[in-house]
Amino acid sequence: MVNPRIGFFQGIFWLVFILITIFMVVMVGGLLFYGEWAAFLSVIQNPEFHFAVVFTLWTSLLATALAAVVAVPCGFILSRYHFRGKALIDALMDIPIVLPPLVSGLALLILFGPVLGNTLARLSLDVVFSARGVVVAQWFIATPFAIKTFKQAFDAIDPRLENVARTLGCSPTDVFLRVTMPLAKGGVLGGLTMAWARALGEFGATAMLAGITRMKTETLSVAIFLNMTIGDMQFAIATAVIMLIVALLLMSVFKVVTGTGVRL
Amino acid sequence: MSQDLLEVYNLTVNVGKFSLQDINFSMGPGDYVVILGPTGCGKTLFLEAIAGLRAPNRGALFLNGKEITYLPPEHRYMGFAYQDSLLYPFMPVKENILFGAKARKMAGNPEILRRMEQLAAAMNITHLLERYPRFLSGGERQRVSLARAILTRPPLLLLDEPLSALDQQTRHAMQELLREIHHTEGIGIIHVTHDFSEALQLGKRMLVLHDGQVEQEGEPLEIFYHPATQFVAKFLHGENLMPGRVFRQGDEQWFECGDGGFLLGPLPKNRLTEGLSESGKLFTLLIRSGSIRLGRVAEGSAATNCWTARIKSVIIGSTHVDVYCHGNGRWQASLSLAEWQGLDLRRGEQVRLSVRPEHLHVISQ
Repeated sequence: MVNPRIGFFQGIFWLVFILITIFMVVMVGGLLFYGEWAAFLSVIQNPEFHFAVVFTLWTSLLATALAAVVAVPCGFILSRYHFRGKALIDALMDIPIVLPPLVSGLALLILFGPVLGNTLARLSLDVVFSARGVVVAQWFIATPFAIKTFKQAFDAIDPRLENVARTLGCSPTDVFLRVTMPLAKGGVLGGLTMAWARALGEFGATAMLAGITRMKTETLSVAIFLNMTIGDMQFAIATAVIMLIVALLLMSVFKVVTGTGVRL
Repeated sequence: MSQDLLEVYNLTVNVGKFSLQDINFSMGPGDYVVILGPTGCGKTLFLEAIAGLRAPNRGALFLNGKEITYLPPEHRYMGFAYQDSLLYPFMPVKENILFGAKARKMAGNPEILRRMEQLAAAMNITHLLERYPRFLSGGERQRVSLARAILTRPPLLLLDEPLSALDQQTRHAMQELLREIHHTEGIGIIHVTHDFSEALQLGKRMLVLHDGQVEQEGEPLEIFYHPATQFVAKFLHGENLMPGRVFRQGDEQWFECGDGGFLLGPLPKNRLTEGLSESGKLFTLLIRSGSIRLGRVAEGSAATNCWTARIKSVIIGSTHVDVYCHGNGRWQASLSLAEWQGLDLRRGEQVRLSVRPEHLHVISQ
């Protein structure tokens, strides 16, 4: 039988845990109850809101898909191979996580503006101040999260399971598709969920690279910012509530899917 | 044209700072070869190099006379089973067994399905076919792993410590199953282990590896009684290892235990004693505990190859008794439980130890 008495040490931990839980509940509750229901209903019928929702969905989904395309090979290489400079490259890929999004956006703006801007313009692939810029900014911010989680998912697989598949007649491609990916499925889905969540809420890099233009590069985050700046609190709160619900749903999915122990 | 199933010439594989060095080895189609060695000696690396999972830095491999040195593993048609069975957790047992057949586009073949059912019956896993691996015991998982490895009738089966994760009872059953597979399938087997008793029970031939090199090769019993090096003697739990010198007396060689101690001999003449000389070099004498006979002192202690000692401790096992004695060195004798009971000896008593000359084995230091 476990002694139900809590000592001083555990007591301090419990106190901190309970206080932070209360803080989170109050913060979320404040957002939910501060807004007015009538205003909320009017906001969700607003064409600008519809644009922001649809625009955010397709840009973030596209950015997540592109992040997956990059993160699968990068995560696999970082997990399976050892080479000189690996730690440095690994750190380099984490830069978007540690850099302030505004700085990432500035770096992207320089790359796709003065450096590659003219070439891209000749190819009709302008990135700066366009929807493409939104996708690029979201992709840039989301990709390191995907790489990290995918790498952890691949790390968790015993390479001997792949070895056995080779001896049983699988080519390296077969092994990847028939053994590695099914085994990494939980971690990969978790990583995609997190990458999508990051893309969905991206603001700083998007603002720098794609600009803040109503009904053009207006994601939900941008919409909140735009309406706050003109004092339309109800629009901002309604949008924030929608994003909060989506974030809670995504985190729940992430926690269920990553029962495999994949962590950020 | 060679009749060997597998030939390995000067195989060298470097992995980090470790290196498998210049391995030469061959085996026939129905051989059961055991590779024995301590952890980290390169046993698994050797097996993986044979399977094509590790690229050699030097050397050549031939399977049925055809060079396979740089052939990818999927084209070598070898079965491979690791210690912890490594079944695919996302598919049921049946799918696991058929995995190789599917990879080779043979799963639709009625012959393969019949073979799968026969193997499942022979390995007593028919009732497990629809289950997922997480619901199987260690022994059941290992049987599934073996069925998966041999489904497509590979000529060579590579086993990396397949029994070491199993309990004693399951291990015995699995040893029986491996003997059965070897017998009925006529398949060549290379079995890696660090357990000598397993090697003795299963292997027809044995390779002892140490630090990436072959330390000794031969029949398991021959290696057990006549280890070529001190490492092999110690690794195979050589119970009585006595330093001393070899000297010649007429055309016979004798062993002098310790520094001016008693004489044992004459040493048997065999390939290992040919190179021994009386140059004053130190040698090590090995006497297996089962080769030392124990008796009461009155039975003629002054005879050749007999000496007296006092019993220091006795460890009674289920089938045999280990008796530790001090006198002219420290000695361990093993005798059957019945023999021990017949002698009626006690701890602290003086006893007569004796050994037959043919059981003396001298190792160069």
